[in-house]
Amino acid sequence: MRHFTIVAGVLLVTTLVARPARAQIDLTGEWAGRPHEDALARGAGPEIGDYTGLPLNEAGRLKAESWEAGILSTRERQCIPHVVTYAMRGPANLRMWKETEPLTGQVLAYRIYGTYGRPRTIWLDGRPHPSEYAPHTWAGFSTGTWEGNKLTVTTTHIKTGWIQRNGAATSDLATMIEHFIRHGDTMTVVSIVNDPVYLSEPFIRTSSWSLALNQQLNSFGACGPAGDEVAVPRGYVSHHLPGTNDQVNAFLKAHSVPAEGAAGGADTTYPEYLKRIQQPDTPRPAVVLSPNQPVRRQPTPAGDIEALKVQDNIYLLAGAGGNIVAQVGEDGVLVVDSGNAQASDKVIAAIKRLSDKPIHYVMNTSADPDHRGGNESLAKAGSRIGTQMVAAALAGEGAAILAHEKVLNAMSAPTGKQAAAPTGAWPTDTYFTDVRNIHFNGEAVQMLHQPAAHSDGDSIVFFRRSDVIATGELFDLTSYPVIDPEHGGTFTGLLDAVNRIVDLAIPKDWEEGGTMIVPGHGRLADQADIVEYRDMLTIVRDRIQDLIKKDRTLEQVKAARPSLDYDGRYGPSDTFIEAAYRDLSRRQ
Amino acid sequence: MKWILTPILLALLYAVVGAQQPPAAPAAPPPTPKAAAPIDLTGYWVSVVTEDWRWRMIVPPKGDYTSVPLNAEGRRVADTWDPAQAATNGCKPFGAATIMRVPGRLHVTWDSDNVLKIETDAGQQTRLLRFDPRPEPGRGTTGSGSSQKPAGDHTWQGASIAEWENVGGRGGGAGGRGAAAPPRDGSLKVVTTNMRPGYFRRNGVPYSETAVMTEYFDRHTAYGTDWFTVTTSVDDPKYLTQPFITSTHFKKEADGSRWNPTPCE
Repeated sequence: MRHFTIVAGVLLVTTLVARPARAQIDLTGEWAGRPHEDALARGAGPEIGDYTGLPLNEAGRLKAESWEAGILSTRERQCIPHVVTYAMRGPANLRMWKETEPLTGQVLAYRIYGTYGRPRTIWLDGRPHPSEYAPHTWAGFSTGTWEGNKLTVTTTHIKTGWIQRNGAATSDLATMIEHFIRHGDTMTVVSIVNDPVYLSEPFIRTSSWSLALNQQLNSFGACGPAGDEVAVPRGYVSHHLPGTNDQVNAFLKAHSVPAEGAAGGADTTYPEYLKRIQQPDTPRPAVVLSPNQPVRRQPTPAGDIEALKVQDNIYLLAGAGGNIVAQVGEDGVLVVDSGNAQASDKVIAAIKRLSDKPIHYVMNTSADPDHRGGNESLAKAGSRIGTQMVAAALAGEGAAILAHEKVLNAMSAPTGKQAAAPTGAWPTDTYFTDVRNIHFNGEAVQMLHQPAAHSDGDSIVFFRRSDVIATGELFDLTSYPVIDPEHGGTFTGLLDAVNRIVDLAIPKDWEEGGTMIVPGHGRLADQADIVEYRDMLTIVRDRIQDLIKKDRTLEQVKAARPSLDYDGRYGPSDTFIEAAYRDLSRRQ
Repeated sequence: MKWILTPILLALLYAVVGAQQPPAAPAAPPPTPKAAAPIDLTGYWVSVVTEDWRWRMIVPPKGDYTSVPLNAEGRRVADTWDPAQAATNGCKPFGAATIMRVPGRLHVTWDSDNVLKIETDAGQQTRLLRFDPRPEPGRGTTGSGSSQKPAGDHTWQGASIAEWENVGGRGGGAGGRGAAAPPRDGSLKVVTTNMRPGYFRRNGVPYSETAVMTEYFDRHTAYGTDWFTVTTSVDDPKYLTQPFITSTHFKKEADGSRWNPTPCE
C-alpha cells in the first residue's frame, strides 16, 4: 500500500507540474486531403509526358521519358507503396497521432497513417539518423524539431522512388525537409525534396488538409510477394528507348503545352519563362551530350570499421574496402570476404567486439584485393574446425578459406611465376560445382557459384535461416558493376547473377525488408533495391543493343550516353559501357 | 495517509508559486505591429511555379476548372468565358483572391507602422494589409492599378485586416531558466473582403464579390534557401461548394534586380 501511495504521489506531482511544450501546435487527428492543386495528377494520375513544374535535370528527364507504365506489372513491383517523396502529395487522407513516454508524457514521435504509403514515424526524441550503411525504406527515416509553430521534419534513407506517378524519379540519395503548419482546422505541409541525381534544384510543394472529425481511414492491410503467375517474363523490364516514347508527343498535342515547358526543368518554373512560353515553337530540350555528372559514391570511412547488425546474428562490417559480412554464434565466427589487407587489424578488432569466439571460416566472393586482402590475417587470427580427415589434420592452422576454385586460380600462379596474392591468403578449401554448402552456427550457409559474371569465380553467399545474402562484386551500390573480362567476367553473366539474387530475395511486406542483401560496396539493401539495380542494367543493355543493331561503334555508343540517367548515381560509366558493348557485340 | 498528502501539498505549493507573477510594472504602450513582427516578410520574393503549372503559366482551355470546387453556378459562369475576349480580361485574373497564384515577384515593405504592403510586378497590384482596421487619415488609395479603398467599396485587392498569430519562441529543444530568449516566430493572418468579382484563373473561373479570403503567411528555410508559404482559403458560397484551399510558396531574392512590372490592363 505504501509503495502504491508513493507512486500515486509521484504521478500526481508530475501531472501538476507539467507544462505545455513551448509554442507547439497539436497535429493529431484525422485530416482530409484538399487536393485543390494538381487535382488530376494527384487523383486519376498524371499523363505521361507531363513534367510541368518539376525541376528535372536532363538525367531526370531521360529517366522520366524512358518510363513505361507496364513496369508496374512486374512481379517485384506488385506491392510497391508510395514512396515518402510522393506519398503526402497523393489524394491522401491522414491520421496523425502522438507516441508519448508513459511516465513523463514526453512526446517521442508523431505517427502518420494514410497516404497510400507506408506508415511514417517522425521521431521527436532527439535520436540521430541511422548509419549511411543502414537500409533505405519507402517511408524513410524522419526526425522532427519544433521551430516556433512549425514542425520541421528531416527525412533520409529513402528508397529510389518518384515525385510524380509518371516516371519523374527520385534517387536513393534524395532527402526531404518538410514543415507541418497548422492554422485552425487547416494543415499545410511544405515539402522540399533535394535529389542531386534527378533534380537541378530542390523541389518544393505545398499541400493542405482539413480537420475531419468524422473520418475513418480504411486499413491498407498487408501486401505480400506476388506469385509467379504474373505474365511478365523473368528479368523483363518495360521501358522506352530514348526518343521513342510517343506518349510524350501525345500529351503535347492534347493540351497545347509548349514542349519545353512539358519537359520540366527549374528554369520553366520561374516567371522569366513566361517570355519564352510565348514562342510556341521552342523545342523540347535535348537529353544527351552533357559532361559526366559528379560521382555520387557513398564515402567509405577511412578510419574505423563500422559494425551494423543486418538481422539475426549477421553483421555488416563496413570501412575495410569491400563490405565484410560476419556471422557470429556458438560455433564461432564466419566471415564473408576480408577487406583490404591494411584494414585487417581493425577488422579483427571489430570482430572481437562482436564475439569472443574464434574465426573458423573466411569465404571469398571473388579474388578482388578489396574482398580477399585480409585473408591471411583473418585466417591466422582464427582456427580450423571440421570432421573431415583433412580438416582435422589441419586443425589449429588457422581458419579455413573457402572460395570457388577460379578464385584460387586467380590468386595463385604456376611455379616460378608471381602470384597475385601471398600463399597464406589463398583459399584452403575450394569448390568447382554450382554450390558449396556448410552448416554453421545453427544455419545452412550456401556458396552459390555464378559463372562469367563479375569474373569467372564469383560466389553468392546465402545465409538461409538469417535470410541474408552477401553478393560480393555482383551488386554494388556505389558504382556501376566492375566487369573483369581478363578473368572471365561478362556483362550478360553479371545481369544473370543479379536476376538470380532478385529471385532468391523475398520481401517481407510491401516490397520491403525480408531477405536482406549486403552488396559488395555501399549500404544494406533488400529486393526492391536490387530490382532497381537490375532495371538499370537491363535498360542500359537494351539501349546499347539498339545502338549495336544500328552499327554504332564503341565510341559512338559512348557518345550517345546510354547510361546518362544513372551516371549521377553510379559515377563514370566508360569502363562499364565498354565491357557491356564488347560482350553484347559478341553475342549479336 | 501522510504518504499521499505530502506530495499533493508539495505539488499544489509548486503550482501556486509557479502561477504567481511579479508585481506589475507601469503599463508601456504596446509595440506597433511593425515592431512586434515575429517574422520578417519584407523584401523581394519570387513565385516558383511547381504546382498547377498548366493552369498558372499558360491560359487553360475554356471549361478547364480542374481542382477548383465550383458549384453548378460557378461552372455555368466559367463556361460563359470567351477565349476570343481573353485580352479584355483586364485585372480580373489579378484580384486578391488569385494574385498570389500569378507567376511573378512580390515586394513586401512596411507602408507604415500598422500597414504591411505587398506589391506585385505581375499586374502591378498593391495589397495593403492593415493591422489596425481603422482607416489611416489620407491613405485610402495607393499603388498603380490597385485601389485599396476603405471598406464599403469593392476593389481588386479588397480590404485586408491583418494580425500576428501563434507568436512564440522558436525551437523545441533545451531552454529553461537562464536560457537566452529564443528567436521569435509566428504567422501572419490576413482576412480580405470587399473584393471585386474576379477570376481564379485566366480562363474565367470566377469568384464573386461576396468571397471572403483568409490567408496565413509562414516563413521557413530549407537547404539554405528562405521561403514563405501563404495558405489561402477562399470562401465563396456563390460559386464554390467548399472553401478553395491553396498554398503557394515564394523564394527570397537578394534584391529587386529581376523586378519586371507589367500592367494588367
